[in-house]
Amino acid sequence: MWRLSSVRHKAAPQGRSVEESKLKRREQEKVLRQARKDRQLVSKRLLLSDDEDDDDAPTPMDADSGDRVVGLVHQLQHSSHEKEPQLKALSKALRNPSAQTIFIKQENSMHLLVGLLSGSQAQWRLLAAQCLHELSQSHQPNVTLACLPATPYLLTYLSGQSTKFTERCLYTLGNLCPDSDVIRDKLLAQGIVPALKKCMESQRYNLAVVEAVGFTLSQLLQAKDAAEKIIPMVLASGLHSHLLSVLTPDPQFGLAPAIECAWCLHYLTCSTVDNSALRAEGALSRCSSLLVTLGDAVSKGNKEDGMELLVWPLLRSVGNLLSSGPTEDMSSQVGHLHLLPTLCALARAYLPSQPALARESTWVLNNLTADSRELCVALLDLNLIPDLIQLLPFSQGINTMVLRVLGNVAHKTNSYCSRLAQAGLVPALCATLRMSEPDIVVLSLEVLFMLLAGCPQVAEEFVKQDGITLLEAIQYNGEGEIRQRAAHLLEHHLPS
Amino acid sequence: MSNLRCFGIEGCDADQKSPFSFTPQRLHVNKDHPLFEDGDIYRHMYLQNLTASETDDQPKLSVSEFGCHISGCRQLLRSVEEYEHHYASLHRHTCSSCRRCFPSARLLDVHIEEWHDSLFNILSHSRDMYQCLVEGCGLKFRTSTQRKDHLIKVHKYPPDFRFDKAKREHGKEIKPQRKQSSSVEVMQGVCESASDVCEDMCAAERDQQEEDMEAMELQGPSGPGAQGSPCVGTSAGQQATETGSDWQKPRYSYRVPATVCFGQGSVRGFRGRGRRK
Repeated sequence: MWRLSSVRHKAAPQGRSVEESKLKRREQEKVLRQARKDRQLVSKRLLLSDDEDDDDAPTPMDADSGDRVVGLVHQLQHSSHEKEPQLKALSKALRNPSAQTIFIKQENSMHLLVGLLSGSQAQWRLLAAQCLHELSQSHQPNVTLACLPATPYLLTYLSGQSTKFTERCLYTLGNLCPDSDVIRDKLLAQGIVPALKKCMESQRYNLAVVEAVGFTLSQLLQAKDAAEKIIPMVLASGLHSHLLSVLTPDPQFGLAPAIECAWCLHYLTCSTVDNSALRAEGALSRCSSLLVTLGDAVSKGNKEDGMELLVWPLLRSVGNLLSSGPTEDMSSQVGHLHLLPTLCALARAYLPSQPALARESTWVLNNLTADSRELCVALLDLNLIPDLIQLLPFSQGINTMVLRVLGNVAHKTNSYCSRLAQAGLVPALCATLRMSEPDIVVLSLEVLFMLLAGCPQVAEEFVKQDGITLLEAIQYNGEGEIRQRAAHLLEHHLPS
Repeated sequence: MSNLRCFGIEGCDADQKSPFSFTPQRLHVNKDHPLFEDGDIYRHMYLQNLTASETDDQPKLSVSEFGCHISGCRQLLRSVEEYEHHYASLHRHTCSSCRRCFPSARLLDVHIEEWHDSLFNILSHSRDMYQCLVEGCGLKFRTSTQRKDHLIKVHKYPPDFRFDKAKREHGKEIKPQRKQSSSVEVMQGVCESASDVCEDMCAAERDQQEEDMEAMELQGPSGPGAQGSPCVGTSAGQQATETGSDWQKPRYSYRVPATVCFGQGSVRGFRGRGRRK
């Protein structure tokens, strides 16, 4: 159905074995996890230029590359017409980090590039932009800071008509955003948000550009201070409604633009608790209905490559949009009813490959059912309880969240308790009560309490499952809150 | 939360504050929350063109382990069946006095009778009190040696089946022999909470527990020639049901208090509420 067409990246250099690639992925994953813990998770994207082969090996670092850069700059500064080959060579050379440092240290080098970028020669503009794009890949603050003089021009070109050029400018800006507060503040002052909005409006049929806008915005929105500085601007500009309108993936172009916009929506919804502006634009129903469509495809076995990249931010947006806001919203939106089987299907489908995604599905289920009687009864009517029970063996937060969902249902009314018992919850609880994680045991006891209090027949079934012996053993647990709950059940709700 | 056990007080107030506190709650998850970590990493791996292929070998899904509830027993188990087997084998039929566990309630009863019942101690001098261990046999013997011989000859138990508690060589202190007559009064003086019972039992070395299981845990009377078994902790002098309120951190000591005797103690062992009468 939808294909994921990723930005043309540097392919992995040839000659790497599968094992080496795996190793590299694992190492990079570790690096990313640590970066996230340090709240410095930053990625950059490289757009290859049209005439480049994917097979191009990265420029090896040698003693000459520095000299080469110096020489090229010199030539560019002093020749008046023949610049193309040098610019091309320069952009290639600037892939090399040490060459980048040498370049920015060279006097007037940035001035040269900016001049070419803003000059009248279209081809030179393009190539100068390419050089800047290479520089933007750097993770060294002095390199990216040195690019600041170019940003007003890059922003101006966003409203231009040359789409390839616009794309390149966008990715360059997107790469520069996460690096420092100074850069971000400058960009915000220079009007990046309205520029992005205008670009998205005028280029909405050019999905490559839309993807690039989405990427750039997502980079801005990940900033630590986004909630205070950036998000209010974005909401004030109305950019979020454009994001919503782009969400449906185009069958031919692929998932990529929708992916970028969905991640932007996620950063918007998770950074602030008050999402009324987004809700006013129908964000919840838009994201829910897309999620339902995707879930449908997934349960039919049409798991497209990269679909998780779209499902994930949609789940999070829906989850966080549901977390605040009036409770009447819950049942008044029919879309929520359809979400219930979708979420269960997503959890089941992604459990083996992406258990964290399954966990987030159950979180959304919690937010749907916590305050809505209608949705709880729908969970029962749609016979989804057995599906949820099947998730109970799985750890890393999955079973705790499922127990919360079941608790939400049991909490509502006594008649639901007997239906939960009929669906097979009691033997399942007898298993979760034996688990080693205290959170799981406490939640299991809570759910059991509600079942026993709501439906006396449950006691019979529980006793038949040898539940009394189990609770007696639980009275010896090291955690006080576990012992007390078990004791209370034995004392007040079970035959002695 | 206040403790809610009413020990033997009839008409306990059922309106006591319930310890249960679950309320349904919608949860907002913030950008940096650990719940979102895996998805963020996946997203950034995609941006850096490093998404995993189908052949990636990292197992990510994990199943919750089961864990024995008995405080101090840190045993983790992989299934409900394993859990049940563990519990039934090591915790259910446990003597609170000496922490030995038995595979069945009957054997526990026999043990308690022969080891911790002063009446048995007295009567066994003049009549046959040592029951055959085989269910349904019904024969009784004057000494445990006679019983052992009976078990080997008639019921074909292997001759090297361990009946006597041998000297422990696991680095524990070997308890010196005690005279029978001094046994009765001594036990009264030891008052530990029953929480030590299970903790200490569980903290005992694995192989000792296995040995206990095999040997069906009976020992002859501790006469002058017999050897007592070393205790692996302090003795419990109270019924477990009286101690619900005072759970302390596991205190575990290999040292045997000088006043404790493990010949025939005078205290009836704890069999747990699960014991069906």
